[in-house]
Amino acid sequence: MYTIDELICVCISRQIEDGELVAQGMSTPLVAAGYLLAKLTHAPNLTFISAIGQTFCQEFAPLGLTTVENLWLSNGLFTINFITGVCDFLPRYQPKEFFRPGQVDPVGNFNNVFMGGTFDKPRLRLPGSAGIADVTVFEENVCLYVPRHGRHTFVPQLDFRSGVGHVPERTRGCGPRYLVSDLGQFDFGGENGRLRLTTHHPNITPQRIQAKTGFPLEIAPNLRETEPPSPEELHLLREKIDPLGIRTLETLSGAHRKAKLREILQQEAAA
Amino acid sequence: MHDKLVDLTAVLPLIQNNQTIALGGLTIYRRPVAFVRALLQRQPRPQNLTLLTFTAGLASDMLVGGGCVSHTRTCYFGLESFGLAPMFTKMVEDGRLTIIEESEASIACGLRAAVGQLGFMPSRAWQGTDLFKVRPDVKTITDPYTGETLTAFPAIQVDVAIIHVLKADRFGNAILGGNPTIDEMLSNVAKTVILTAEEVVDKLEGPVELTGLAVTAVCHIPHGAWPTSCYPAYPLDGEEILRYIDACHDGEFEAYIQQEFNAEAQRRRENERKKSA
Repeated sequence: MYTIDELICVCISRQIEDGELVAQGMSTPLVAAGYLLAKLTHAPNLTFISAIGQTFCQEFAPLGLTTVENLWLSNGLFTINFITGVCDFLPRYQPKEFFRPGQVDPVGNFNNVFMGGTFDKPRLRLPGSAGIADVTVFEENVCLYVPRHGRHTFVPQLDFRSGVGHVPERTRGCGPRYLVSDLGQFDFGGENGRLRLTTHHPNITPQRIQAKTGFPLEIAPNLRETEPPSPEELHLLREKIDPLGIRTLETLSGAHRKAKLREILQQEAAA
Repeated sequence: MHDKLVDLTAVLPLIQNNQTIALGGLTIYRRPVAFVRALLQRQPRPQNLTLLTFTAGLASDMLVGGGCVSHTRTCYFGLESFGLAPMFTKMVEDGRLTIIEESEASIACGLRAAVGQLGFMPSRAWQGTDLFKVRPDVKTITDPYTGETLTAFPAIQVDVAIIHVLKADRFGNAILGGNPTIDEMLSNVAKTVILTAEEVVDKLEGPVELTGLAVTAVCHIPHGAWPTSCYPAYPLDGEEILRYIDACHDGEFEAYIQQEFNAEAQRRRENERKKSA
């Protein structure tokens, strides 16, 4: 048996190739766990660049919540400041990165600024675009992940475009190549770069995925079931990479999430 | 360079209405929280500040909640795994805060332009996004060599930067400790630079991460980033961040700030008693 957060981590891990450079944003433990899983399995030569700490890192350390900096700062090979990182490093090295969109449209444009209402008086203000409005313009290695697949996220029309997808006006880079949600895996290989279901997770029907998507979904001709996590992958995730279950914070909401936060804090304090 | 070590109360008047204020650190790491709490105790509180931060987190949310901020300039405003920034989110959704939408590149390029004494810095960022719709002041430029359309990010000027550091000397040379973020740049761009430091020594041996050249004042504030972290001195205090969020959701922001300020004054008195004993 496995949980959905574990399946998402495994899917992310399997997108990583050995020797790659991957970027880690803030508050994305599913991605961090996926990268670390890749490092401990098929991609030992992975290099991370992390927003927290602004370091390059080639070592392994387990995930932390209050000690999240330790992973990057105690093991950092090299530190750059954010000015150099943004202006020089990202355009030059173009790391692979997984972003979590607030909204995503059929061709992979996405929004992390606001949802509903207007920009001046939004119904829901999101934290902001961070570096998304910058790197999606020129990068080749953008991937997306959606821990809770629903019509509020997969929308026909964005309220605001802060990440650039597969649009004709693009002159560099390409839109997102891959998306994983709690229901399936997708590429953007449909007509004119449209979202296309490539695998559905075990026990999830394509009909259910379509019902939870706010626009008509294309389906790849060789649609398969997602390969479940192996016993080794589950062991590494649970025992070595993230014994406190920090990754689950991205799949929980409301009171459940808060309870999990307090549980993790208590476990970290006792350690 | 002269001795810049002063008491925190001496620097609070440097913050004036309508200024652009920058806070060092990143989201919930090495933020000048004790400074912000002290500023909120000042009578009157500053007003109509423009708050510039690379990412905005706990300290920024307190300044916004305290009614000091009219405009925010940041690429991310939130509390990472702990959730949305409660006072910021409420003020924006009530239409009481003006957001000058930024990204990592617009801040990085804007500060690079400012430090180089230029009006703008070109970049590929934002091309194809809706950012221009909410930032009509940001213009495009044609690359004179290739003809490519680029974004011309305007220089960002900063009146006062407040940066919490692990260790400083009396002249304002400093070691950050971790998460350099954009603090060195802020120290070079801001007209006034205030350091709050975990530890102050007479003279730091190099290498240092910030030079005292542009530093105006150094204040000794142990635990000055709490409940955000100050690596490697202490990790972030997650329980306290949750307590802050709960207080804000219960409409108890002001009571929380007052209580924390009193508790901190008490700790300082106890430390002084211990020192003199």
